Amino acid sequence: MKIGFKIAAALLATVRIDLRRPHPCAHERVGFISAGLSAVGDDVLILARSYRPVLDQDYLRDPSVGAMMGPEALRKALQWAMQTGAALFHVHTHGGRGLPDFSSVDLRGARRCRSKRWRRESTAARHTFIERFTQVGAPIVTWRAA
Amino acid sequence: MTRFDRQSFLGSGSEARLDEATIGLVGLGGGGSHMARQFAHIGIGGYVAADPDAIEDTNTNRLVGGTLRDAAAARAKTKIARRMIRGLQPHARIVTVCDTWQHATEQLKTCDIIMGAVDGFAEREQLERFARRYLIPYIDIGMDVHDLGKDGFLISGQIIVSTPGSLCLRCCGLITDERLKEEAGKYGAAGSRPQVVWPNGVLASTAVGLAVQLLTPWHPHPPAFTFLEYDGNSGTVSVSAHVEALKGRICPHHPPDETGDPFFDIRKHLEGIEQRPASLWRRALRAAKAWFDGIFGSRSTQTV
Repeated sequence: MKIGFKIAAALLATVRIDLRRPHPCAHERVGFISAGLSAVGDDVLILARSYRPVLDQDYLRDPSVGAMMGPEALRKALQWAMQTGAALFHVHTHGGRGLPDFSSVDLRGARRCRSKRWRRESTAARHTFIERFTQVGAPIVTWRAA
Repeated sequence: MTRFDRQSFLGSGSEARLDEATIGLVGLGGGGSHMARQFAHIGIGGYVAADPDAIEDTNTNRLVGGTLRDAAAARAKTKIARRMIRGLQPHARIVTVCDTWQHATEQLKTCDIIMGAVDGFAEREQLERFARRYLIPYIDIGMDVHDLGKDGFLISGQIIVSTPGSLCLRCCGLITDERLKEEAGKYGAAGSRPQVVWPNGVLASTAVGLAVQLLTPWHPHPPAFTFLEYDGNSGTVSVSAHVEALKGRICPHHPPDETGDPFFDIRKHLEGIEQRPASLWRRALRAAKAWFDGIFGSRSTQTV
């Protein structure tokens, strides 16, 4: 299964600007992109809808990582997903351009979340690498996995 | 030397970008056939072309690529488009659907841009809504000939670029409830509308230029929204007066939360893939992977 991700240029610009804002205690910001999904044969197309930043007060102080979300941030995100029926993508940036990828901290966090309970309740939640990322605007810009 | 040397100004990598792109062509009559030919000329690599009709004698005054022999054979417009594209792009990825575009949605949703050359406002609105749902820029062209009585005839038309997040056909006033109602009232009795080749050519050429702006870096600041009006009597294409009036407006007609398949469930999708009987080589691959994992340990991080 290959994954394509499409996002309107204006929304991507909003996300980038928001994630660059300094935070009172964390080294970086995090947020969530909501999206609709579509099947293209076996492949899946992710179609971004909107963005919500994690509120300042919903971060935890953790010097071992750039940013650590607290339980309230996750609760709000899950509620958002359930109410709208949208897929949610947790995003942060270390700068750069091109195809989004996971940092080593993301992957470590993912391993920590591999509890049986989580797996049972969220069978669809996976770390899957994006093969094609498209910024839809003028011009249309596409990055592909090498 | 390649056949694209004369268009190298489109920017570095533009030849590959155009070859990678897939264009949806909905309607392959007077406007759509022009666009199909031009996209083939500039080197677009992928096409999804939909039209339910076959060429008739009365189409041969404007359908580019169609011949009298095609009309005699009642050849499908999609076949004519395929032949025309293959003549210039022998290795093009072409999907033709000789049916209404609603039967080509699976293919159209993979397109980079959808070009609409359809009759009717309801058709346009549905097509634009579809394009927005899958975050695809939609470029619409249309022309009409108005009888002005003793003043003769007026040829007019429009080209609208509608990209996700920007203004739409309704914002431009092209689609209105009144027009849709009037059109629905005429259903089945609309008759054939006057059409000629050169306005279609102007509109199609302009639309292709706007599509190329979206795909290649030749234009430093291509607009995400464009509304151009064609006056066939004076031979001019100009920015619609609506554009100034619409400055700063946000489209209320296509909320962003409409993207994606309404009832898509990733769990069912994954189950469907996993439950499908695997091919022999895939089963062999899985067995080899299981053997490899058994010896060296499995790769981590698949499930969060």
